[in-house]
Amino acid sequence: MFCLAAYNLTKSYIDSDQSIHVLSDANLEVREAEMISITGQSGCGKSTLLHILGLLDTPDTGRVLIGGREVHSGMPEAPMIRNKDLGFVFQFHYLVEDLTACENVALPMIIAGNNSTDSLKRATELLSSLGLEDRLNRYANQLSGGEQQRVSLARALINSPKIVLADEPTGNLDPQHSAEVWQMILNLNKEHGQAFVIVTHDTDSARLASQTYNLAQGKLSLC
Amino acid sequence: MFMILGIVLSVSILSAGLNLFQGYETSLKEVLLGSFPHITIQDADSDYLSIDRVKTLISQISKNPAVETITPSISYSVMASNGSRIRGASLNAYDFSGKFPFPYAKYIKDGKSTISTGEIIVGKYLAKELGKKTGDELKVIYPQLDRISALGLYPSERSYRIAGIYSSGFYESDRSQIICTLSDAETLLNINPSFAKLEIRLHSKSINAATTIATELQQALGMDLAVYPWTMFSAGLLRLVAMEKWLIFIIFCFLVLIAGINVISAVTTIILDKKNEIAVLKTLGATNASIKKLFAYQVGLAGICAILAGQGLGALLSLFVENQGWYRLKGDVYFIDSLNAAIYPINQVIVFIVAACLVSVCIHYPLRQIDKLQIIELLRNS
Repeated sequence: MFCLAAYNLTKSYIDSDQSIHVLSDANLEVREAEMISITGQSGCGKSTLLHILGLLDTPDTGRVLIGGREVHSGMPEAPMIRNKDLGFVFQFHYLVEDLTACENVALPMIIAGNNSTDSLKRATELLSSLGLEDRLNRYANQLSGGEQQRVSLARALINSPKIVLADEPTGNLDPQHSAEVWQMILNLNKEHGQAFVIVTHDTDSARLASQTYNLAQGKLSLC
Repeated sequence: MFMILGIVLSVSILSAGLNLFQGYETSLKEVLLGSFPHITIQDADSDYLSIDRVKTLISQISKNPAVETITPSISYSVMASNGSRIRGASLNAYDFSGKFPFPYAKYIKDGKSTISTGEIIVGKYLAKELGKKTGDELKVIYPQLDRISALGLYPSERSYRIAGIYSSGFYESDRSQIICTLSDAETLLNINPSFAKLEIRLHSKSINAATTIATELQQALGMDLAVYPWTMFSAGLLRLVAMEKWLIFIIFCFLVLIAGINVISAVTTIILDKKNEIAVLKTLGATNASIKKLFAYQVGLAGICAILAGQGLGALLSLFVENQGWYRLKGDVYFIDSLNAAIYPINQVIVFIVAACLVSVCIHYPLRQIDKLQIIELLRNS
């Protein structure tokens, strides 16, 4: 049983009256606790694929299955699936600037309907496990790039999702912080058993995953 | 900030306008009902009621529980003169022997309220126009049209000492009132001891039922008497004032609506400013409805605080207008000469509900944009 699967995905954009095919018959299967990386050149459609898998975008054709159930971004349950079954980490941290690190992490749990006290307690535990116990009450702009990305990682994990989708999670970091974040992802994958789908253009780091795919000319192929 | 300021100012103007109009309506009603009898009874066929008839009527009318006082009086149109100037006046004569109540004692602002033969009480503006004050002599002239001599009309005139100044706040009354004793009126008017009418004052809780009580009295006393409730003379005026009050309220509501347009603009700006956060919330699973609720809660809370602050400012503004000394109403135009504010809780509740509804509509209208924001577009653009 695959926790996440995508079959025959196609997606194209119209740019200056020209149709650009970013995905052509792309297929992907992700098992529980599996870590997959997707590499490819800039603009090849890696982020688009991840957005489709995360129910943020709709494919032109093809199917996405989460836990064996076919899903798409337009369905009424999509927000709930994004909240409970999926975790997102983006290249830019997208932390809410008006909230502290702890409040940012607690946000998905509060959206899920949990009370704020429990959510903040869980956020504190999670941030402490990522070495940010002294940054709990700092606002997003008071954190370094590496810290911001760790907060965003904690936010992706707080609802214990089955799958974490990471789009260039280290794309904005220097090599040292980048290595730290990758190590953290590997540890979390082992400790919590969540599946990770990581899009990156860093081929060296991508090899740390159990399977590496390459996206080129809209085709997804196993390296 | 300007959104809040706009709501505060518009609500304060709405609230102050309503308080002042309510104050005017209340004051006008008070002076009207204070200066004039609530029910007047006269003979339908004659100008006079005999003293025996008056006694019988008083015993009959006093059985009605709504009646507070019954005062027989004489009322005639006369002229008052200071020698060089003459003004028309209304002479009202009462029995000051203590047998009957004198219901207007509270309006005697200067001098005494109980007078004896040779003394009169004069309305404030009448005294002012004729340059008279307490202690001065005032000539009262009654042009007896039925007494014509070879030299023409032969008016009856007497001079009286002003013992008190009458000031009810109702301009028309203060401009024409002369109160004297029955014996002086009988001498001046050359009439036999009698009364012209019965002035009935009702208990405050029964004032609004004056028409019904007048009908009951008419049926009980017979058709040879004419019974007039106060509503016959003043209800139209009060209805007009009430209508003006609500008309002003509606006009001032447009000010709140204009402030509401400011709210639409502010909320639209906030949404555009926060579109990245909206995208994050949507990505994390927040529904459009929950995001709209969050915005509505935050802006709505600010709006409610602004409305309450506006109502507070409106109350202060009304009290300031009431207590300021540099502008007074023209009594000859507006009936009363003072600006009064009446802060009624029900009016404040109406202001709050109307302002809250308008602001709420203006908050929810731009929030519809959140539905149209596509996460993917926001993520790509940011």
